[in-house]
Amino acid sequence: MSRPGPRIVPFGDAALLVELGGGIDIGANRLAHAMAAAVRSDAAGPWGCPVPAYDSVLVPYDPLEVDVAAAADRLTGVLAGVGAPVEDADHEEGPFIKIPVRYGGADGPDLEEVAALHGSTPARVIAIHSGTVYRVFHLGFAPGFSYLASVPAEIVTPRRATPRTRVPAGSVGIAGLQTGVYPVVMPGGWNLIGRTEAVLWDARRDPPALLRPGAHVRFVPVGG
Amino acid sequence: MFEVVDPGALSTVQDGGRPGHLDLGVPVSGACDTWSLAVANLLLDNPPDAPALEITLAGPVLAVCQTGVIAIAGADLGGEVPEEGRRLAPGSSHRVTAGTHLRFEGVRSGLRAYLALPGGIAAASVLDSASTCLLGGFGGIDGRALRAGDQLLPVRGPTAGEAGRRWPAGGPDPLDGAPLRLIPAADPAGLAPGALAAIVDSPWIVSTESDRVGVRLSGPAITAAPEAADLVSRGVVPGTMQLPPGGPIILLADGPTVGGYPVAGVVARADLPRVAQARPGAELRFVTASVAEAQAAWRYQAAVLREMARRLEVSGPWETHV
Repeated sequence: MSRPGPRIVPFGDAALLVELGGGIDIGANRLAHAMAAAVRSDAAGPWGCPVPAYDSVLVPYDPLEVDVAAAADRLTGVLAGVGAPVEDADHEEGPFIKIPVRYGGADGPDLEEVAALHGSTPARVIAIHSGTVYRVFHLGFAPGFSYLASVPAEIVTPRRATPRTRVPAGSVGIAGLQTGVYPVVMPGGWNLIGRTEAVLWDARRDPPALLRPGAHVRFVPVGG
Repeated sequence: MFEVVDPGALSTVQDGGRPGHLDLGVPVSGACDTWSLAVANLLLDNPPDAPALEITLAGPVLAVCQTGVIAIAGADLGGEVPEEGRRLAPGSSHRVTAGTHLRFEGVRSGLRAYLALPGGIAAASVLDSASTCLLGGFGGIDGRALRAGDQLLPVRGPTAGEAGRRWPAGGPDPLDGAPLRLIPAADPAGLAPGALAAIVDSPWIVSTESDRVGVRLSGPAITAAPEAADLVSRGVVPGTMQLPPGGPIILLADGPTVGGYPVAGVVARADLPRVAQARPGAELRFVTASVAEAQAAWRYQAAVLREMARRLEVSGPWETHV
C-alpha cells in the first residue's frame, strides 16, 4: 500500500510538523520513528529534540540559526534519505514487557461501566484487555506516558465526558483504540480499569521510561 | 543565602528549560517568562538561563541568612525589605542584609516575578536541567514547589554581584497588553470554518483555571468540526492554542508534549512572556502573524537582550547613567 509523501508544514515560529497521515497505523508510525532518528543523526542541523507521534513528527528548530524556508529545505533533504521501513508485521523492533495489573475495584473504578457499555461483564473485559499484545506507538503528554494500541473492538471506549482531576500513578486506562498506564499522578479522562505497581517513570533511572516505542506489552491480571 | 519562612502561592526553581527529552513526554518546563528570567540573571552577570525562583502572584517570605546581592525582574509583586522600609523594584539588583527579610506585599502588575541569586540558585541538574517538573516530581527542589524551611543558595558567593543595577528602559516589555501574535495552524484539522476569525475578533478573558501547563481563556464558544473527534495525538509546543470543548487554552512551559485537540495556531515565541504575565481576569486579544513576522520579532528580542547585556557590562553601576 502506498502512502502520499510526507507533508512538511510550519508549526509556530520554531518548529516544523511532518504529517504522514494514517492515524493509528504501524507503517506510518515506523516511518515517523525512522524520520525522527534521521533528524537526530543530522547533528549539524538546527534541530531540537524531534517528537514522533502516531503519524507525525514535530521537529523543533532554532529560528536564530535558520528561517522557516531554510529549515524546511534542510528537513526535506534529511527525510529524503529515509527509506520505507519494513512492513512485515512479524518483524518488530522492541522488547516484550509484561505488566501486572490488579483489575477492577478501587484500582479500576470504570471497569463495570466499560463492561456495561458493551453489554459485557468485567471478567470478559479483563480477559480481552489482558489477552491482547499491544504495541507502544509513542511517548508523550506526561513523562513516560506511553500510547499503546490497539484494543479489540469489543472494549473500545471513548474518553470520559468529564476528566478526573487526579488519576493515581499506575492506573491503567482505555481511550478509544488506545490503552496505557498513567506514569505519574495527573489529571486524565481515560477509563480506568485497573492499576499496576510497575514504575513507568523514574527520572533517576536510566532510561527513565519503562517503555519505548516499538516495544510490545501484555497486561497480566494479578489478585488484589 | 535565604531560608523560606512562607513559600507563597507557587514558587519554583526554573531555568531556561529542559527541551532535550520531549520524546519521552517530558515537558520543556523552565521559566514561563524566559525574557524576565534573562533580565534577572543578566543583572547579576549570570548566564541568561541560570536557575532562578519563579514566583507566582503571592510571593514568599524569605529570611536573609547571609548578606548578598539579588536581582528581581518580571511582575511587580510588591517586593520589599520590611525592616528597612525599602521597596525592591523589578528590573534591578539589590543588596540584602543578613537578619532582614524579603517579602512580597501584593501584586501590582503582571503575574510572575523572577528572583535571581549570584551565579544562579544551586539545584541539581536532572535530565540536563535544574527546572522543576511539577508533573514528574523531579528537578528544582525535590521536584516540588518551595516549602517553609527550604534553603535557597547561590552558585557563586552571595555578594558576587553588583547592587543598584537597573535594566535599561526601552526593550520589549512582558507586561505590555498589545495583541498577541498568533501564527495560524497550517493544518486546520478539526477547526470549524470561521473559528480563527472568531478567535481574532473577540476579546478573551484569562480564566482562574490557568497554571504553568496553560492559560485557559473564556469567551465566545468556538465549535470544533465533526472530524475533531478522530484526531490522533501530535506534537505541540509552548504557545500552542488548543481548542478543547471547554474553550481555548494556550500551552505554557509545563504543557504536554503532544495533544489530540484541534490547534488554532501558535503564539509567537516573542509574545510568550506576555502570555505568562497575564493574570486571571486579564483581557487578551490576538492578531494573526506570519512565521516570518514572528521570527523577526524573536530575532529582534534576542538582539535587544544582547545589546542590553552589553550596555550593563560596559557601563558599570547603572545609577550613574539614570
